[in-house]
Amino acid sequence: MGVNKVENILELALREAEQAEVYQEVSQLTTVSFQANRLKSIDNCFEGGLGLRIIKDNRIGFSCTTNLEDIKSVVQSAVDSAQFGQKADFRLPGKQKFPQVKCVDSRISSLQIEEMIEQGERAIKLILKEAPSLQCEAELEKSLMKANIINNQGLEYSYDKTVYSFALYAFLAQEGNFLGIEEEEGSCQYQDYWQSLAERIIEAFHWCDQRAKISSGNYPVIFTPKALPLLYSSIGRGINGKIVQKKVSPLGDKINQLVLSSLLNIQDDATISYALASSPMDGEGVPSRSTCIIEEGKLKNFIFDLQTASLMGTETTANGKRGFDSLPSPSVSNIIIKEGRVSFAEMLGEIKEGLIVDQIIGSGQGNALMGDFSVNLDLGYKVEKGKIKGRIKDLMITGNAYDLLKDVKAVGKESRSVGAVRTPHLFFPKISVSG
Amino acid sequence: MESYLRQCLAKVRAEYAEIRWEEIRSVYVHYVGKELEAIRELREQGGAIRVKDKGGWSFVSFNNLDRLPHCLELAAKQASLIKGRAIKLAPVPVVNKIFSLSLKKDPRQISLEEKYQLCTNYNRILLSSPQIQTSDLRYEDVCTLKYLVTSEGTYIKQERMDTVLGMTAIAKKGHNVQSAHEGIGGIGGFELAEDKEKEAEETKQRALELLKAQPAEKGRYTVVVDPKLSGVFAHEAFGHLSEADFLHENERMLKIMRLGRIFGNYQLNIVDDPTIRGEGGFYFYDDEGVMARKTYLIKNGKLTGRLHSRETAARMGEAPTGNARAISYQFSPIVRMSNTYIEPDRMTKEEMIAGVKKGIYAQGFRGGQTNLEMFTFAPEQGYLIENGRLVRKIRDFNLTGNIFVTFSEIDAVGNDLVLFTGPGGCGKGGQSPLPVSTGGPHIRIRNLVVGGK
Repeated sequence: MGVNKVENILELALREAEQAEVYQEVSQLTTVSFQANRLKSIDNCFEGGLGLRIIKDNRIGFSCTTNLEDIKSVVQSAVDSAQFGQKADFRLPGKQKFPQVKCVDSRISSLQIEEMIEQGERAIKLILKEAPSLQCEAELEKSLMKANIINNQGLEYSYDKTVYSFALYAFLAQEGNFLGIEEEEGSCQYQDYWQSLAERIIEAFHWCDQRAKISSGNYPVIFTPKALPLLYSSIGRGINGKIVQKKVSPLGDKINQLVLSSLLNIQDDATISYALASSPMDGEGVPSRSTCIIEEGKLKNFIFDLQTASLMGTETTANGKRGFDSLPSPSVSNIIIKEGRVSFAEMLGEIKEGLIVDQIIGSGQGNALMGDFSVNLDLGYKVEKGKIKGRIKDLMITGNAYDLLKDVKAVGKESRSVGAVRTPHLFFPKISVSG
Repeated sequence: MESYLRQCLAKVRAEYAEIRWEEIRSVYVHYVGKELEAIRELREQGGAIRVKDKGGWSFVSFNNLDRLPHCLELAAKQASLIKGRAIKLAPVPVVNKIFSLSLKKDPRQISLEEKYQLCTNYNRILLSSPQIQTSDLRYEDVCTLKYLVTSEGTYIKQERMDTVLGMTAIAKKGHNVQSAHEGIGGIGGFELAEDKEKEAEETKQRALELLKAQPAEKGRYTVVVDPKLSGVFAHEAFGHLSEADFLHENERMLKIMRLGRIFGNYQLNIVDDPTIRGEGGFYFYDDEGVMARKTYLIKNGKLTGRLHSRETAARMGEAPTGNARAISYQFSPIVRMSNTYIEPDRMTKEEMIAGVKKGIYAQGFRGGQTNLEMFTFAPEQGYLIENGRLVRKIRDFNLTGNIFVTFSEIDAVGNDLVLFTGPGGCGKGGQSPLPVSTGGPHIRIRNLVVGGK
């Protein structure tokens, strides 16, 4: 899409409005999918569109389109919506100095479909060699994206981003005993994921060789990085400036108070080299930064975009996330939980009778805002006298994210990325298990 | 458009090829609390190509119609990379059909002002109590014009209008935060969202009353579920398991899901039916050009059918059911549900509750998930039942169980079928939300695990 057209839209909008901004995204997503152990499909998804945000008579208007031939109606729609829009309490940012954030790898740009196919085949071959009864699915994705922002304050900036990700799933259906193991990794930098993902699946599969039993009660528990987003998602809502502004966050009045275990340090950081949610700017042209959320258990900051920050009488934290088809809204970027000192083996060694939670179903249901969860254990293991004894299933895990994270026994020393969350294992003294 | 699409398609050298083209226009209004978070109009257009040559599927999506010839070349080239996996498609009649909209009140003719006023009014009702901390109100109308041409000769042009309204009231007292939700709408015009003041008031009241409810105690209970929940139960717990793409290439799953297997009692019937007008999952033809039809998944307790795309139907030697759907031009059609429900039987809700010594009456729906064996879903609220009577309002609990066990524990099916659409929908394979309806009568399930305090 042409730059001229974007400038035309801005110019046309400024005839009507005091402030205007055009945000544009163009992307290509290439996906190679395997099903039932074999290559199933190759997809290429080209997408491009723009969103126009205006401030007219001090109110926010917005519209978006994928059709650049239709400039006039885009501007008219934005003007129409501004009659009803929220009062704007902010000015769009002007020229900025943006941090150097690494989020492009030419190895991804030049990655061929044939290579992706080969990576998928290798992963599946390795799994089937060790565990021929499993049936595998794989999805390899390569994404090339360009974001472009221009506003009336003189800001004009664009950046490119590349992402390569690999999701692997192995399934075994047996009467009364379904097993599904999933592993996924991705980043802005190319990595050969196939072997590490396959090996993790094989390891999990062997831990499931035996079935184990656990009776209802409270037990010490290790949450793997894969399972921890269940807990972090409640914290993520609690620190969201919009939820704080609506006065429904349980953390709303707790700045500088101890809200989690003093063993925990949590950072929101969009500037980390090649991390999944990294970029030099957020969705409204504010330079990316690192924001301390939790320092030794104390709540330090919420996350904001321009509008929510101004409503709260504070500054944006560069967390205005958006696509071209929506207004910016506060949302976390990369969430980094600082590593501790205890290895996974040491955690296991501490457990006389307990469990490992690895995959769950039912997250985000119920009263997640307040941190309550009650989920079914999709993949978990019994631990006895420091050893993994086998798979446990048909169990409910119940608790509260805030209560658990207040009482952490140990933080692991090796991190793993799960989506845009980077976290070590966490060890809690007790969780409620019922069958 | 038809001749352009056909011309382009004619140049593709492959076993099978299809082009979809969509033009979408939508208006979205979103309140959170007192603030209008979004009011916007979206215009979107895009196309999708699917090509099958000797191997698997090649798919390309794009926004710019001028790029169609280039994208077709790319799709054909990609298709040649997939070798040694012959995919057959179940034969279906070639059709040439145009379906246009007939709406009572076309949302495209309604001003933004009127939509704004409607939402502002409902939102005011939701917020009209000091104990309501915030609200979430969403209105959306989406008009989609879809074209499909296939290399077999089919041409279908379908126009559809989805109008939905979602209302959530969030009440707070100290550390107790409770929400109540109502979803309204489906296929149709602005009239679907009008005159819902009563529903807004009831939603607010439910949230307020939930503040007074007691947390549920976990354990095993006999549970009577309301139509909202029984519908989600049919969809989550059983519907997904009936989607043939989970089965057709997995010998073990096929054995487990063999036709004739007894899942429940004689009075249990579960249906998927895209032909019910007005419901979210309504359509004439699916996104592969297969005519919509009613499918019994369970009849008199026995597994009798499943949902198919042309590929899964061919592979399993069964008739296609017209369940291949894509949420938009950015995705391939995959096997999906439409309007899924449990058929009503004879019992009244009161009779069901009267027959329970100790149990739970669960109402409304906050979310649900399945991994094809286990399911979990969260009701909005409920009552404790003791000796056939509702004795106490309860909150913050969910229901979980094993699909293969739980259906045989359904011991009563009510006489009061209701279907629900509303905003949101079903998610699968990265495609979400797909408009669907779910429904059922009240049903009673024995021995269900309830998670709570």
